[in-house]
Amino acid sequence: MTSFQRWAFCLTVPAALLTLCLYVLPILQVLALSFTEPTVGLGNYVALFQNAAIGRVVRTTVFVSAVTTVLTIVMSYAVAFALVHMPPATRRVALFMVMVPFWISVLVRAFAWITILRRNGVLNSALVGSGAVSQPLELVYNQFGVIVGMVHYMMPFAIMLLYANLSEIDLRIIQAARSLGARPVSIFFRVWLPLSMPGLAIAGLFIVIFSLGFLVTPAILGAGRVLMVAEYISVQISSTLRWGVATALSTMLLLVVGILIALAMRSPALRAAFEGGRK
Amino acid sequence: MTPRSRRLLERGLPKLVAWLLLAFLFVPVLVVIPVALTDRDYLSLPNNGISFDHFAALANWRAGWMPSILTSLGIAMASAVIATAVSAAFAIGAWVYVGRWPSILRVILLSPLIVPPIIYAVGMVRLWSKLGLLDTWLGVTIVHVILAMPLAVLAIGASLSNLDPRLVQAARSLGARPATIFGRVILPNIVPGTVAGAILAFIVSWDEITVTLFITSRGIVTLPRKIWTSIADAVDPALAAIATVMLAVTIVGLILRMTVWDRIAQRRSRHDFQ
Repeated sequence: MTSFQRWAFCLTVPAALLTLCLYVLPILQVLALSFTEPTVGLGNYVALFQNAAIGRVVRTTVFVSAVTTVLTIVMSYAVAFALVHMPPATRRVALFMVMVPFWISVLVRAFAWITILRRNGVLNSALVGSGAVSQPLELVYNQFGVIVGMVHYMMPFAIMLLYANLSEIDLRIIQAARSLGARPVSIFFRVWLPLSMPGLAIAGLFIVIFSLGFLVTPAILGAGRVLMVAEYISVQISSTLRWGVATALSTMLLLVVGILIALAMRSPALRAAFEGGRK
Repeated sequence: MTPRSRRLLERGLPKLVAWLLLAFLFVPVLVVIPVALTDRDYLSLPNNGISFDHFAALANWRAGWMPSILTSLGIAMASAVIATAVSAAFAIGAWVYVGRWPSILRVILLSPLIVPPIIYAVGMVRLWSKLGLLDTWLGVTIVHVILAMPLAVLAIGASLSNLDPRLVQAARSLGARPATIFGRVILPNIVPGTVAGAILAFIVSWDEITVTLFITSRGIVTLPRKIWTSIADAVDPALAAIATVMLAVTIVGLILRMTVWDRIAQRRSRHDFQ
């Protein structure tokens, strides 16, 4: 190794030490604790599958994450598709409307949704005031409120990913389809949609993973009535101190995230997208 | 259906849907502004005129908003400086070093972007309680550095990928020592990426809530933590006031980003071109 290469190696050492000792090691310890706390064995995992409360939490998490992902992807695709077709000046305005919610704190967004959706909130006052409904609607502290908040949180991510994918599509392909007499609807379903599959898959993957482990928005907009995995883990380590259950659930969550990424990497289109992003 | 109206439907309807969705993203965030200006002392729209009392309440030291803003600023600045320095060193080293080690390390380094933070929170509560670092400045800053490094590495790495490696070869063949090459050839050329990385690192720390929630209690109250407890405790319009301030800062920052930064970037690239 030349002295120049030795220098380069040394420059990577602080980052390596920091991540290995203070990121990788604590997470490995979580995995280890799930097999040793309170007693050595698979007891925590047996409990995970037998406990009815945990079963309910897992079902809620999967249901809310699935609905959130489908809604987010469909709605974000509509926005990204429109973005690609906008003249530059209009697109700047539209992108600004995407970037403001993207950069504002997740807590501010959850708080805004509470002021809008709660019993005597902005929306219910307007609905009751205008006579559209006689009783205030239950819009928050239930699955509906959690899903609204989560879709609102995830959409800017998905729009940015889909927009990046769509703007790479060669417009000459669309022109070719049009000049061969394809109607707009068939151009959309037979040209745009197949070409956006890698983007849709990547955005879907990210949204599913973010949703499964999401703590803040479900906790605030669900207020304990929509218990998802992350909040359940947080209750275990801060109030009931059941470390075994908390670490076993964390391990399962990590495993699911790992499997999803591994599955995604099997698809050549996705692998290309990941490697393209790495350049 | 006439061809004309069908065309209108095929072109116009998607556009209308897209703008409605954009409104769904943008408008709800704005609701904090009128609520912050309410003349009542609970969360509501203004009734008889507007009032700035809730903004004045933010300045009241004993209400706890100012101390938490200063705490967050301090931790975010310290984390941004450390994370940027470590990330810049890593990114430069990885760019120069020949071998598999940097690419393996890079995957591990970027993993906080995808691994749910709740898992990291569980691990850090355990580790910090063993080391006595729960609810300390040092403990929070270290965690924020770890979480801020991925975005800093990405930003600095993007800057480096535009750098011509022949520049380094030229410096080496002219006999420059390694320290000179790293400090006076590579570093000055990646200033924009490094600044962007530092800003991103600052924002990550400033916004971090999931892990901070578990490793702090009464001693270190960052702004997100203060907002979290206020949402859980009560419905105080001061919350809407702080949300409005954060919204205003975000909008100003974005407008600066979309105007000034682009202009600087354009000027730089023109400069490079000549």
